[in-house]
Amino acid sequence: MTSPGDAAPVKPPPSFSPGVARVASTSPSRYPGEHETTQSLDAELAESQSVSSPTPLSGTIADLPIRPGSSHSRSGRSSTPQLARSSIGSPFDGRPDGSEDIRSSIIRSFSPTIAVHASEDTDDLVRNKGFKGGFRELIRPFGETVSGKVVIRDSIGSSRAWEDYGVRLADFKGIGRAPASRDSGPLAQMEEVLAKQLDGSNGMLGASVRTKDVLGLPATTPLCKSFLQQLLCSAPTAPHETFGHPVANVIAISSRNAAPLETLRQLYADGTTGGKQLPDWVNQEYLRYYVLVHDEERDDITESIKLYDQMKRHFGLHCHLLRLRSSQCVVTDDDSMQVPQCEWLSPSEHLSGAGEAEALVDLGTDGTPYLFGSDATAIRAFIRELVVQSVIPFMENKVAVWNDQVASRRRGISGRFMSMSRRWAGFGSSSRSSIGGSSGSNSGNYDQTQHSYSPDSPEAVLRKMADYAFMLRDWKLAASTYDMIRSDYGNDKAWKYHAGAHEMCAVSMLLNPLATSAKIKLESVDQMFETACYSYLTRCSDATHALRCLSLAVELLKSRGGSATESAAKWAMRVMDFGLVGSVGQILYTERVAACYASKTPVGAAKWGGRRRKAGMWSTLAADQWLKAGQPTLASACLEEAERLYADVLQADGVFPMPEMQSFVDNLRHAVKVEYLEARGFDTRDEPASEDPLGTEETSEKLDMRHHRRSLVGPPVQLDAGALNTTQGPLHPESPPNDDFERA
Amino acid sequence: MSYYFTILSPTDTPLFNIAFGTSKGGGDGIARFRFPETAQYMNQFIIHSSLDILEEAQWTNGGMYLKHIDTYPPAAAYITAFLTPSGARFLLLHQPPHLPSSTSTSSGLGSSSLLGTAGSTTRASSSSIAANPTSPQTEEAVRQFMNEVYESYVKTAMSPFYKQGMEIKSPVFRTRVTAAGKKWL
Repeated sequence: MTSPGDAAPVKPPPSFSPGVARVASTSPSRYPGEHETTQSLDAELAESQSVSSPTPLSGTIADLPIRPGSSHSRSGRSSTPQLARSSIGSPFDGRPDGSEDIRSSIIRSFSPTIAVHASEDTDDLVRNKGFKGGFRELIRPFGETVSGKVVIRDSIGSSRAWEDYGVRLADFKGIGRAPASRDSGPLAQMEEVLAKQLDGSNGMLGASVRTKDVLGLPATTPLCKSFLQQLLCSAPTAPHETFGHPVANVIAISSRNAAPLETLRQLYADGTTGGKQLPDWVNQEYLRYYVLVHDEERDDITESIKLYDQMKRHFGLHCHLLRLRSSQCVVTDDDSMQVPQCEWLSPSEHLSGAGEAEALVDLGTDGTPYLFGSDATAIRAFIRELVVQSVIPFMENKVAVWNDQVASRRRGISGRFMSMSRRWAGFGSSSRSSIGGSSGSNSGNYDQTQHSYSPDSPEAVLRKMADYAFMLRDWKLAASTYDMIRSDYGNDKAWKYHAGAHEMCAVSMLLNPLATSAKIKLESVDQMFETACYSYLTRCSDATHALRCLSLAVELLKSRGGSATESAAKWAMRVMDFGLVGSVGQILYTERVAACYASKTPVGAAKWGGRRRKAGMWSTLAADQWLKAGQPTLASACLEEAERLYADVLQADGVFPMPEMQSFVDNLRHAVKVEYLEARGFDTRDEPASEDPLGTEETSEKLDMRHHRRSLVGPPVQLDAGALNTTQGPLHPESPPNDDFERA
Repeated sequence: MSYYFTILSPTDTPLFNIAFGTSKGGGDGIARFRFPETAQYMNQFIIHSSLDILEEAQWTNGGMYLKHIDTYPPAAAYITAFLTPSGARFLLLHQPPHLPSSTSTSSGLGSSSLLGTAGSTTRASSSSIAANPTSPQTEEAVRQFMNEVYESYVKTAMSPFYKQGMEIKSPVFRTRVTAAGKKWL
């Protein structure tokens, strides 16, 4: 809009004193509201929220007399509806709490897996309660958060308490078996889920024009977060990482069982022999935990206690008596409570689960079953006892033993010599492990045909130990162990192991809170991600793991702050370059790039080091892409964010120095506004008239006020349109069709 | 290799814009950017966003010629900057030609572009400048170009009819920049 010729006279470089320069260089006559719009963002945010409060009219009244000039100047330039921001929330979590949140969910995603193997009668009992999936489905949501603090001792012997510890309860029969029935991989499924979520938000948007602010539309950050969560739990159980391998196996029988000890023996045998056993590459040294589910309503407690005592005598301490009621709980029951939602659902579960929930909407329930409060308390106590008294000590013990027996030998001089000699000559493997022989040049324990190490080879044990340490949140030990073994895998050409060790080494280095963010570290971390990504993608063509690796890199580097954010942005761009994500994913990652740059805050008095322009550019691009994808609501949120980011670096609010940029942004704003209103069912044929050139604004101030006064006197019918009027009104104060629009 | 050259005033207002292509190695001097015709604004976005880096780099580098300061990986666009004492900034965006899909897929290209070797497999006939945007030869050629443009810029700015901060409309200046581009790039 501004031709370069009539720009303000020279001002000092913006890096000197941006605030002063901006105010000084704008002539007040052209931008009447300028001094107001340069106010802090918080004021603006507060304003827009007041507009969008459930009673928009009162918000409007309060708003108008105070800041007429401001809303006026905003309308001239930033025509994106203000209600967009209020109803959507900001897609960027550059604020500290956001990145902490992501970090914590990354940590929680690498939690120990516990297999659940229940007898038929137990599953029957639970199905009576309304849980179709049986015993595992009943206890699964409770496993994700262990109530109370969990104290974990690390390798040095210092203890640390964690509030947010959890375990993943997996179906014993499902471990290691790829869901071959589905033709599409997890990445395609994730894309499908994303599309579904977007559709859902659209449907909601159409249905809930009136109650939009009360319900709260799904914001972009939840979208990003759910994408990340699905990604983190979508990787199938694989030989090269043991996060999905069971740490313990819960064997459950019920008090209805006629031959309890016999059944327990049978279930135990399932784990070691027969068709249901775990794949070869899973280490069989996991903990067995025995649970007796007592039916409170039909069975005698004395009998159960007797049986429980017998179990304790047979199997030792790892037993639990779980007392449940067998009847189904409904909402109207006393002491009923909703079963918590599962947080970690894989994409396929999302796809199948979403359909179920939709079917139940008609019935007036939201699909989640209910549970007696006493049952929930019993299950929580059971999970806590299982984790705190059995699983954690077992893992701590295993880490200590392996560290002592395997890792220290590998760390010592002889271990180094062994690995060296193995590399050059073809011997050395026989003395270290019985499995495998010297087959070809890369003699070792790596099985070329199965693409896995046997579980008791030192390489596999070390990886398992590192993973255990990682799950116990002892990142220092984990990082040093991964670091130790990562080159071994390369020598054996075990590329997936190689990639996995590099990835986890970098991740545990970044998660380790004690490690200082020295620059050398970051370079080596970058190098490790690079190697991991190359191994995953080029050598193994495993897109899911590659995407997980890069996404972890993006999120963790971003949460580091400082110069790490730039490499975070670089990795996010790499994800898009590789084409690992679909069309919606591309937009999400465009947003992530913007968020990465936005989180790099300027330092010092000179205020340099910020990346506001870059962040603004990516945000604008994201807005453009959302618009093309038919999501004007999300586009307008991105555009708002871009405006906020650009506000610091631009001379005047929304005025770009470059003409082509200016016209692009203007067109984008207009298109977003039109589509946004159309999506809400407003007739927008008159919209082009609203793009008034700047010149008319000087005279529009008075009309502006009168216009609003009229809208105040207007009939209260237009309550829900009131919020729109505040942003709409000043746009085209002189166009008569607007009156019709208002009365509609 | 396609180039987009901009002179920015201290207030970030563009004083002069020109887009041109390489004339070396049989190039016809016409810019062919990777963006579609409808997305030519991207050049300005990229230049504008690189000001973030420029503001940081100008305090850490003593020279007027700042060399390669920024990259926009998705389009393999490289930004080179030159500072003048009056506060005007010369920014040159250069972009290696879009490879015909004979050598690599887009993913391979993306990976190599981050290593700074994008377009290394371009026509053998092209000069080393076009082949590698971050090589010392390119840096040197761009330096020569910048110096020559700077000379013309000073002469233009000294004209009694030119006020500082005004857009440069002089056709002489434009031809001189074009000639410098032909000569060095």
